[in-house]
Amino acid sequence: MKFLTDLILKMGTVDRRWIFLVIALVVIIPLFFPLGLPIRATATTQYVYDTIDALPHGSKVLVSCEYGPSTKPEIHPMVLSVMRHLFKNKHKVYVTCLWPDGQFLASDALNLVARDEYGLTYGEDYVLLGFRPGNEAVVKGIVSDLRKLYTIDAKGTKITEIPMMEGVNRFEDFDFLFSASAGYPGTIEWVQYAVDPTNVPMSTGTTSIQVNDVMPYVSAGQIQGILAGMPGAAEYEALIGVPGIGTSGMDAQSIAHLVIVLFIVLGNIGYFIERNRSKKY
Amino acid sequence: MFGEIFGAWVAVFLTFAIFSFLYKDNPFYKIAEHIFVGVSAGYWTSMFFWTQIQPNLFGRLWPSTHYSDGIWYGVYDLFGFISSSIFPAGGIDKGHELHFSYLIPFALGIMMLLSLFKKLNWFARWGIAYTVGMAAGLRAYGFLNSNVILQIKGTIIPLLDPDLPFFSLLGDSHFNNLVILVGTVTGLLYFFFSKEQTGNFGKVTRVGIYFLMISFGASFGFAVMGRISLLIGRFTDLITYNDASYHHATIWVLVIMVAILGYSTFTDKGNSETDVS
Repeated sequence: MKFLTDLILKMGTVDRRWIFLVIALVVIIPLFFPLGLPIRATATTQYVYDTIDALPHGSKVLVSCEYGPSTKPEIHPMVLSVMRHLFKNKHKVYVTCLWPDGQFLASDALNLVARDEYGLTYGEDYVLLGFRPGNEAVVKGIVSDLRKLYTIDAKGTKITEIPMMEGVNRFEDFDFLFSASAGYPGTIEWVQYAVDPTNVPMSTGTTSIQVNDVMPYVSAGQIQGILAGMPGAAEYEALIGVPGIGTSGMDAQSIAHLVIVLFIVLGNIGYFIERNRSKKY
Repeated sequence: MFGEIFGAWVAVFLTFAIFSFLYKDNPFYKIAEHIFVGVSAGYWTSMFFWTQIQPNLFGRLWPSTHYSDGIWYGVYDLFGFISSSIFPAGGIDKGHELHFSYLIPFALGIMMLLSLFKKLNWFARWGIAYTVGMAAGLRAYGFLNSNVILQIKGTIIPLLDPDLPFFSLLGDSHFNNLVILVGTVTGLLYFFFSKEQTGNFGKVTRVGIYFLMISFGASFGFAVMGRISLLIGRFTDLITYNDASYHHATIWVLVIMVAILGYSTFTDKGNSETDVS
């Protein structure tokens, strides 16, 4: 027993760089040797899927990309999956970006899914309206008069010359909003300035770190479901039946979590042993 | 193809340069840090200018639809000599009408830039005052409606609904509704500081602390999950770039960087021992 307690105490003094190395190894090994752990959709992910699936064919869907390369591993897989679902159900997709770096990631996603996979036509089936600076003022602008804010799309084409923009003048002309958000401005601003005042339904996909902030809006019915970080993306990939980056990362994610929990437990045991010993002497 | 391979090598180098900070602060990390700050500032400035200032501000002040030989477009043509890409000949064709009212944001923007000059930096207060006032007004309504009224509405839930089960792990149930009620009330009472938190009141607020701790724990868990996801993303890219089509960028950069850092540590150790002796 003494040996065990001494070992746990010794582990508490180990150089933190060894812990970094262990985490790196437990993340990288499952990427080479996948375990294929089962992925089951949580209620919030299922809610997003059901909401999008229930939209009548040909609905006008606004997808807003508020993320950049730093959060690409979490958000990009869910954007790809949601776009696949939308295009499969023959919806018209309009893409805006509240983050400047969201524009080229959105362009990547549209080129991959809409152009290459589904062979759709730009301007008729999908359009990239692009980035506008101004944070919540942009959301407010889209709600009141989209055409005042967007006179040209991301390619510089006049909005009046884009066929699918006919009849789209403000936020209420859309049937649904999906916000792929990694922070401010993002999901919360869409809820506050667009969705709550107009009652246009909305779902979201966020980074893990944002889930706790956004969840109250989901619980209160202001948002129809949330894709929570990489697991949310993996669950959505499972629901649409197209595994992608989210699915391949889930084994590494699960094992890394187990190891981190183990470290936390060992750290706490070490803390209590040390506290008891210091009380004795 | 060369561009793609070169991009992969740059991405691999920058990834390992940032990771190298986990070992210790070093020149590779410093290089990556400075490149990141510089490129971000440049990219954001460029995006802001070409998506907003040029088409939506200049495009409204000098639209091509109103181009004439008058003084106003004479000033524009003068700007055109400086940069024809920003001020193309014949006015800016971005689908706008002429709006002189946009001179106000133009002036406020210039005033904010004057903060760079010590004697004129008081001008910046006008621009800042407008921005703060506009943001405060805009946010007041949004927060009141979405974060106060609708959130309060969301917590008003039936405690005795015969259609609800007693317990459900994920859906609505009597138990979950009771947890929401107790958590909301005790959590709010914890922030009631007009009464000392002792006795029975203290016991109630203690329950509130437990709810807050559970919430912070969930936040921490999600934060860890997010960071691991980002690490997976980087590793996935590193594995991709180790492919023969990228000339095994990952392994080469890793070996060279480890060798340089190892040599630097070795020589530093030798120097410090010499200094001591």
